[in-house]
Amino acid sequence: MSKTEKLTAPDLQIPQNSAIFAKGLNFTYNAKSNFAKHALTNVDINIDKGEFVAIVGHTGSGKTTFVQHINALIRVQSGYLNVLGQDLSARKPDLKALRKQVGMVFQYPEYQLFADTVLADVCFGLKNFQVDKDKQTQMAKEALELVGLEFDKVKEKSPFDLSGGEKRRVALAGVLAMKPQILVLDEPTAGLDPRGKTEILTLVKRLNKEEGVTVMMVSHDMNEVYENADRVLVFRDGGVAYDMPPRELFRLEDEIASMNLEVPAMAAFCNELERQGFVLSDGCKTVDEVLAAVVALKEARNV
Amino acid sequence: MFRDVTFGQYYPASSFVHSMDARVKLLLTLLFLVGIFFVQSFVVYGFVAVFLLTVIFVSRVPLRSVLRSIKGIIVLLVLTAVINVFFTKGADAAESPLWAWSPWNGFTIEIYVNGLKTAGKIFLRLVLLVMGSSVLTLTTTPVDLTHAVESLLKPLKLIKFPVHEFALIMSLTLSFIPSLIDETDRIIRAQKARGADFDTGGLVKRAKAFVPILIPLLVGGFRRAEELANAMNSRCYEGATKRTCMRVMKLGWRDAVASLLVVAFFAGVFVLYGMRGQWNFITWLYY
Repeated sequence: MSKTEKLTAPDLQIPQNSAIFAKGLNFTYNAKSNFAKHALTNVDINIDKGEFVAIVGHTGSGKTTFVQHINALIRVQSGYLNVLGQDLSARKPDLKALRKQVGMVFQYPEYQLFADTVLADVCFGLKNFQVDKDKQTQMAKEALELVGLEFDKVKEKSPFDLSGGEKRRVALAGVLAMKPQILVLDEPTAGLDPRGKTEILTLVKRLNKEEGVTVMMVSHDMNEVYENADRVLVFRDGGVAYDMPPRELFRLEDEIASMNLEVPAMAAFCNELERQGFVLSDGCKTVDEVLAAVVALKEARNV
Repeated sequence: MFRDVTFGQYYPASSFVHSMDARVKLLLTLLFLVGIFFVQSFVVYGFVAVFLLTVIFVSRVPLRSVLRSIKGIIVLLVLTAVINVFFTKGADAAESPLWAWSPWNGFTIEIYVNGLKTAGKIFLRLVLLVMGSSVLTLTTTPVDLTHAVESLLKPLKLIKFPVHEFALIMSLTLSFIPSLIDETDRIIRAQKARGADFDTGGLVKRAKAFVPILIPLLVGGFRRAEELANAMNSRCYEGATKRTCMRVMKLGWRDAVASLLVVAFFAGVFVLYGMRGQWNFITWLYY
């Protein structure tokens, strides 16, 4: 990292409503050894507050590396990164303030549970961020209810006695309790049954729409990406290859296939319809929406 | 944070040493480790060092990788050397201290030439011990090493020692280490994201900060062990009942050559040790 590469905020014209702003972000693992591995090359991304962004890409495409930058779990090596107005390329960013605002849910978050009771585990983050003692219980209660658990039933239980799905929800509550403005999720639905998946996704979507939480979700399930995200970033070889709304992205069937990604079922269906001359609005993504649109189209033709 | 932990640090290469039978390598390493203790002069330490460097050269493992193994015992090295420098008295009553300092009455710190020599020898001995054994682990995969241990312990079956189970425990332990390191890393990140702070505060606070790492790690360890046990059970695994090995170990010409050279070298070391003080030139070697 040379001095001349160092960018500063005023030169960059960060958009007003930006939640995450990256410019020329580079990252190399084991930079000084023979095993050096480029993970990010010149990544430019701007994500506005309130967006629901999905991040997809192959293993090793750099998506996890990028996502961990947002929480300063990985420090900026070169380039510029600004999260919620904080310059993370600065030498000493205020990590506590940052991590309080950026909630991060890792893969299999239930494996991070540790406390004697569910309540204590959910309060762990609150305690670390020095929230008032009397407020902690209230906030934990809200978070647990948000994820669909009955506070009085679970609060005194050991988190290890819960079922897999419940554990994950407790872990999620542990992050949500801090009321983060940005929520980063790394494959939040991996290993869950279909119902558990829907529940988690509905919750995330609700947080995004109702509370205005900015969501970044890493996922390998193109169907859930397609149905939930407003915007998809496709990572390839450490850079952003595509950055567009999901409907547009999944029209590019050949490009998607060349990156070994799947076209979601409903997108493939709509693409085929379009080829046959039936164009539905871009808003139709779930089965129900597409069905309604097809029925409407049919009725319109019959008239 | 825990990335630096190296264990089972196999260095893949194809060399004379790599293709030797793991059992022979293990036995020769043992001979080396025992032999080191019969070396008592700097000159012979020099011979051993040259011998070891030759082996390292033949094994095509970069010297840097071998030296890295010393990093782990650097504290021990320095500590033993320092203690020996200060607490070894003169070889005989006639030797006067090289340096003495008496901060108060009845207490004197003295350094003798003899102490410096002893410290130097112990330092060399430890360095050579660690380097020698790391040549074994650098050129032998943990799997081969376990097979070797199992094969060498076979005679113990006569006294009903569960050799196979012992070897299995060894290889399972080794295979769990990388995944546990990964898991530790992940848990640390997850707790950091929830505001955990491992770097500030007093000793008690820092020790407490590790609870949120250790408990998930332990729980995870038990979970993995149980999953593995289930996987083995469902495949009808049964200890040592006439199992065959996928890779059968065979002795080859390399093993013969290497054994001959190493045994000859240490035979020399033992002879020197046995005859110390008898001839002039040997006495010189031992001065």
